[in-house]
Amino acid sequence: MMAEGIFIYLAAAIVILSVLVITRSNPVHSMITMLVLFFHIAALYVTLNAEFLAAIQVIVYAGAILVLFLFVVLLLNLKEEMVARRYIGPWPLGVLAALGLLVVIVLSLKSFIPGPSGVFTTEVVRAETNTKVLGQILFTEYLYPFEVVSMILLVAIIGAIVLAKKRLRN
Amino acid sequence: MPSAFLPEEYLPIVIFMMIVIAFGLGTLAAGIIFRPKRPYREKLVPYESGNPPVGEPRYRFSVKFYIIAMLFVIFDVEAVFLYPWAIVFDKIGLFALVEMLLFIAVLVVGYVYAWKKEAFRWD
Amino acid sequence: MVPLHWYLLLSSAVFVVGVAGFLTRRNIIIMFMSIELMLNAVNISLVSFSRYLSDMRGQVLVFFVIAVAAAEAAIGLAIIIALFRNKATAHVDEANEMKG
Repeated sequence: MMAEGIFIYLAAAIVILSVLVITRSNPVHSMITMLVLFFHIAALYVTLNAEFLAAIQVIVYAGAILVLFLFVVLLLNLKEEMVARRYIGPWPLGVLAALGLLVVIVLSLKSFIPGPSGVFTTEVVRAETNTKVLGQILFTEYLYPFEVVSMILLVAIIGAIVLAKKRLRN
Repeated sequence: MPSAFLPEEYLPIVIFMMIVIAFGLGTLAAGIIFRPKRPYREKLVPYESGNPPVGEPRYRFSVKFYIIAMLFVIFDVEAVFLYPWAIVFDKIGLFALVEMLLFIAVLVVGYVYAWKKEAFRWD
Repeated sequence: MVPLHWYLLLSSAVFVVGVAGFLTRRNIIIMFMSIELMLNAVNISLVSFSRYLSDMRGQVLVFFVIAVAAAEAAIGLAIIIALFRNKATAHVDEANEMKG
């Protein structure tokens, strides 16, 4: 009963906050709402026995990515932004498309059949700690994707410097 | 179906968060209730050490801040990969060391590139 | 015990909110945040699958998704800055030419 109550609170908060994120006219308000949203998602990860990911959610998403967004928002002219039109002209069309997608996803959920269960039950993971189990899989089975991530990060460094640096020269 | 599980060791954090939020909102509410409200124009302008305020409070940031923030995000993600690595290092051993050195070597290339492009220079 | 379907419904709801935001907003930064919302929705479903199928691979995948999201944020926001530089606008419907 307790677990259901916590889930319902977190789910309601996440959905309401994500609607607020996409409807605020002031981008800074959107950003603050998103910060609260990320903390709620981290709490949801904790209830799903993924403590390490909850920490990563706070460190990377709330701590780094949102700060980056905030810097770019501060490049904007906020005064102009507050009075500008928020939505594109044919916005009902976009909402309609999104609702259609929701209907398709919910209908497809009916025919969902879970696959075979693995060996990492909650008890096994709790005995070993979440981070340790995750690390063992990450650094043995997922060795190649892990090395590819370093290439992606390298591309991100080079790409962002090339794109943003031009301004500094002239 | 997995067994029901609630991470009860996180309960102190939840209680702490609740106290923090209640304290913040409570003090603000108490201020609104108890303080006298007699606003006039000079009282409402932002305090600038006695001078009348000039210009906008929100000015545009330089793009230089952005480059630093972007590099921070990338190297933050790199650091995050080090946590599980440090935890499992004694189990996997030398193999783990080699793969992490490879990972960092690739990122050092990016670091050298950023250095050569003078992304860390302020002016 | 919360059924798995509740988590999947939550995930699809957040994903659809992200899609709606991406399709309707004019401000390119809010559109970008909608993409982050969609990524988070997928992460929620992956973590709940990982929990209910007793398989840690879902969580490893979420780890990679977060790393890629960080790289994507850095590049995407650099492109947004390039847009500011060329058009001095954050509105996608004003950036409608192929040639700057």
